[in-house]
Amino acid sequence: MSHHTLPHQLVPGHEPVDSKAIDASIRLPVMILFGNAIHWLVIACLLSLVVSIKLIAPGFLGGISFLTYGRLAPMARDLMLYGWASQAALGAGVWLMARLCGRPLGGGDGQGMGGMLLRTLIISATVLWNLAVLLGTLAILAGYSTGVEWLEYPNWASAMLLLSFLLIGIWTVLLFDRRSNPRAEVAQWYLVAAFCWFPWVYGTANLLLIWKPVQASAQGPIQSWYCGSILALWLLPVALAGIYSLLPRLLGCTLNRRNLATLGFWMLLLLGGWNGMERLIGGPVPAWMTSAGVVAGVLFMIPVAIVMINIFGMSRNAENLATQSIPSKFLFMGAYSVLGVGILGALVSLPDISASLRFTGVTEGKTQLWILGAISLPLFGVMYEAVPQLLGRDCWNATLSARHYILTIVGLWMLVGIMVLGGLFTGLALSDPTVSFLNITSYSYPFHLMECAAQLILLAATVIFGANITRALAADYLLNKKHR
Amino acid sequence: MHRLPTLLSGIFLVFLISWLGLVAYPVTQLGRLTPVPDPETGGTLPAVYGGQALAGQRIYATEGCISCHSQQVRQTSVTSSDIERGWGTRPSVARDYLRDSTAFLGSRRLGQDLSNVGVRLPNAKWHYIHLYHPSAVCPGSLMPAFSDLFIVRKIQGQRSDEALDLKGSDAPKPGYEVVPTAEAKNLVAYLLALRHDYPLPEAPVKKAGAAQAK
Repeated sequence: MSHHTLPHQLVPGHEPVDSKAIDASIRLPVMILFGNAIHWLVIACLLSLVVSIKLIAPGFLGGISFLTYGRLAPMARDLMLYGWASQAALGAGVWLMARLCGRPLGGGDGQGMGGMLLRTLIISATVLWNLAVLLGTLAILAGYSTGVEWLEYPNWASAMLLLSFLLIGIWTVLLFDRRSNPRAEVAQWYLVAAFCWFPWVYGTANLLLIWKPVQASAQGPIQSWYCGSILALWLLPVALAGIYSLLPRLLGCTLNRRNLATLGFWMLLLLGGWNGMERLIGGPVPAWMTSAGVVAGVLFMIPVAIVMINIFGMSRNAENLATQSIPSKFLFMGAYSVLGVGILGALVSLPDISASLRFTGVTEGKTQLWILGAISLPLFGVMYEAVPQLLGRDCWNATLSARHYILTIVGLWMLVGIMVLGGLFTGLALSDPTVSFLNITSYSYPFHLMECAAQLILLAATVIFGANITRALAADYLLNKKHR
Repeated sequence: MHRLPTLLSGIFLVFLISWLGLVAYPVTQLGRLTPVPDPETGGTLPAVYGGQALAGQRIYATEGCISCHSQQVRQTSVTSSDIERGWGTRPSVARDYLRDSTAFLGSRRLGQDLSNVGVRLPNAKWHYIHLYHPSAVCPGSLMPAFSDLFIVRKIQGQRSDEALDLKGSDAPKPGYEVVPTAEAKNLVAYLLALRHDYPLPEAPVKKAGAAQAK
């Protein structure tokens, strides 16, 4: 991988800064975000495994109040969302934005007094983010959960997360206006949009559901809007920015059909917010809302198809050799997962299918495919590309990287496949009122058992990834020490 | 769209559509629903929670009951299986959640729907035993035991009225009894208060005969 995978055209007055200088300006904050994100991911996977074991042996770790399913499951989910995915997306977003815009963070060459102050501020923000995740997780463990799905952190922890995001996000968005390429890439648009949406979505949902809750009769649509938006409008756009910006450069070809990509961007923007409403089909909300959710879920196939056309239209003239690299493999599998969530999402949006499958493992499998597939795989790809450039040398252990890749893919598809299959069975049984509920529970046992196996594979994959980054960071630390 | 203000305005406008529909509309419309008079008792519907039930609602939140239990009976236009399973006599509507501090709609049913658990299972003693050891009353249940919500203590004089009637291996040592803590009592008070079997103008209850015919 060359150190110049992200070249830029010249703009008068906005001379691009050397990519090494850009990397130097953001090296520490981005590495803090990446390193912590990966380690939270390992913990999230461990908790997910414990949670899945509890479904085959409810007595496992029983009798301890803070280790019940109801506390561990939200802990695992929130660590996945805020400890891992959002933090990795922050790091990936800052790095991609700075490199695509050809500007160091903090203006000038990134070395002045202003640059240093800004860097200190951003580093403090990354520490604040991790503190919020840690304390929020412990609060759920200690029995202070809010009980709102995906927003379980107490009000002070969510306020810390939002503040931390704003401190990092504002500078990232402002980079767009000082970029050196006159014609912005779609990836840059996705990044600007994602960094604007997170504060809006997270702030609105926390304000109306946690900080100053509205009457509960109005909370359902807001909850669903949040669950849809946080995936489709914050995490997915950053993942797509990674796919759109890195894949063409890694494969040495250009992105065709730019206008189509632009259309895809606006379509995703328009539909992303409505997408979550399929979580309430048949629920206690006005019928037009869930109808809009059905339409949005089906139409979501359009931006997904556009991503596919862009990516695979481009790869046709690519050389096979280039596709062998780990970053591009992850980015490609991420693109396939985007297709997967598009198809699965459209299917479960159909009222007839939703009627039997809405409360089953299919919903959970879809969420897993979103977070671990469409979002995490591209983020892995960005990390594998970014970290060597940030550290200034090829720091990955190739064997560990290859094992991480294969185990992630196997574990992910196994997990999603089992959850969807198990969900189909329980869904059909649930729609037949003559089958007793406890009977259905016993049917789902083999599926829960295989879920455990899949979670174990995913845990192995993330432990390997964690070992890989720890190894890289430790070597980097020793190298720097020697130079000093 | 190559200047930041232009791009931001575009992003803002498009995003505003879903925000208006799914945030502003619910807050201004559903958030202003009011209770309706109850002709039978002279009170209001939905009924106000008692103090214990309100405290129990917090336990429901902090214990993460929503991870496995939903609280919504779906519209019959989508599926009639929720009503046929006995989870309710009519579909849930927004007004049903008026008295809640959080709408515990839920997204998975690893356990049963609880919107009408107070109607279905009105016996507090049953709930105590079920919380203490779920598979004692529901063999094969996936629910974890919430034995932390109970205390085992030596019987002082006479056995407490609140003591659980536990059988077999669950039974405490002779001379000891298992009694619910305040948290357990609050949680059960909340579960028993989950009753949405009353008719509302937008959700009439069908005649009992029609429901039982299934």
